[in-house]
Amino acid sequence: MNHLKRKEVAFFGRITAGITHEIKNVLAIIQESSGLMEDILDITEDGAFPHKDKFIKSLNRIHGQIQRGIDITSCLNRFAHSPDRSPVNLDLNDITEQMVLLVSRFARLKNVVLESNPSDPPIVIRSDPVCLEMALFESIEILLKAIDSGGKITLSPRKIQNQCVLGAGYENTVLIEEDIPAKISSTERWASLQETMAFLGGIAKVFGPAPEILMYLPESIDV
Amino acid sequence: MDRIKILLVDDEKEFVTTLAERLELRNMNVSIAMDGEAALALVENDPPQVVILDVMMPGLSGLEVLEKIKAINSRIQVILLTGHGATKDGIRGMQLGAFDYLIKPIDIEELIKKVNEAVKSMV
Repeated sequence: MNHLKRKEVAFFGRITAGITHEIKNVLAIIQESSGLMEDILDITEDGAFPHKDKFIKSLNRIHGQIQRGIDITSCLNRFAHSPDRSPVNLDLNDITEQMVLLVSRFARLKNVVLESNPSDPPIVIRSDPVCLEMALFESIEILLKAIDSGGKITLSPRKIQNQCVLGAGYENTVLIEEDIPAKISSTERWASLQETMAFLGGIAKVFGPAPEILMYLPESIDV
Repeated sequence: MDRIKILLVDDEKEFVTTLAERLELRNMNVSIAMDGEAALALVENDPPQVVILDVMMPGLSGLEVLEKIKAINSRIQVILLTGHGATKDGIRGMQLGAFDYLIKPIDIEELIKKVNEAVKSMV
């Protein structure tokens, strides 16, 4: 990535990180306000408030959504800080879990479940966080474009023959007949993924019939 | 038992007033300040037992306020509130003498537990 591009990415990152703090403040105020309502309900005598149960149910829903908001903004904040330094030590489990939270919406639009399958022990590599996140996103996008609706994409960091690999694999109960790997590897998006992988010092391969993209990554890069 | 005396410092008015009400419902005596200068004036004139202090504020930062509070009265316990991704501020704060730090948005029960622990540690 050239210097100007890096500056642009860092600029977007700084603004986004700042905004996530503002969103957190909004969530904190909603949390305290709904918490105060709960406190008041707790000290209200039974029978004095005829719709108490409905209020409690509603407050629980608000708490659930606040927690969801906190999880998403925390994840977005970490993502926004990605351009701060490169290369850095990255736990592939953290990266995949973060991407699941950030990209699930894209998958949901095609009724696809996106999940991660962490490796044990965790795999840590020294790499460029922005490009690694971009490679994962591109591979998810490629799979979503190539498949019909439904099924599941699993992101799984693992070692294959001692090499660090990030896998994005698709599963569906419906039988897949067409040669999706061939279809994938002839697309512009695939060429774009390979360009990103080349920057990371690695390569992507696709296997079938239910497509799985394997991104082979070096343990360390100098950017 | 005497009510625990707390000073709550945060520049978000809605947050600070609502949290103060919740703490008062739990029998705590709460003062509020919306910036570092106002907080230091209260520490000088009406010292609390515990200060709950946001790290990220306009003007004096939470860490600067913490240092000044400790210089005025080292017995006052300070619990810092940090944003996510700012845990290094919390750790830096503890090096400067903060009792502990919590990540915003906070869990009220966890905050109460920390306040009680902070008061106990003063004895």
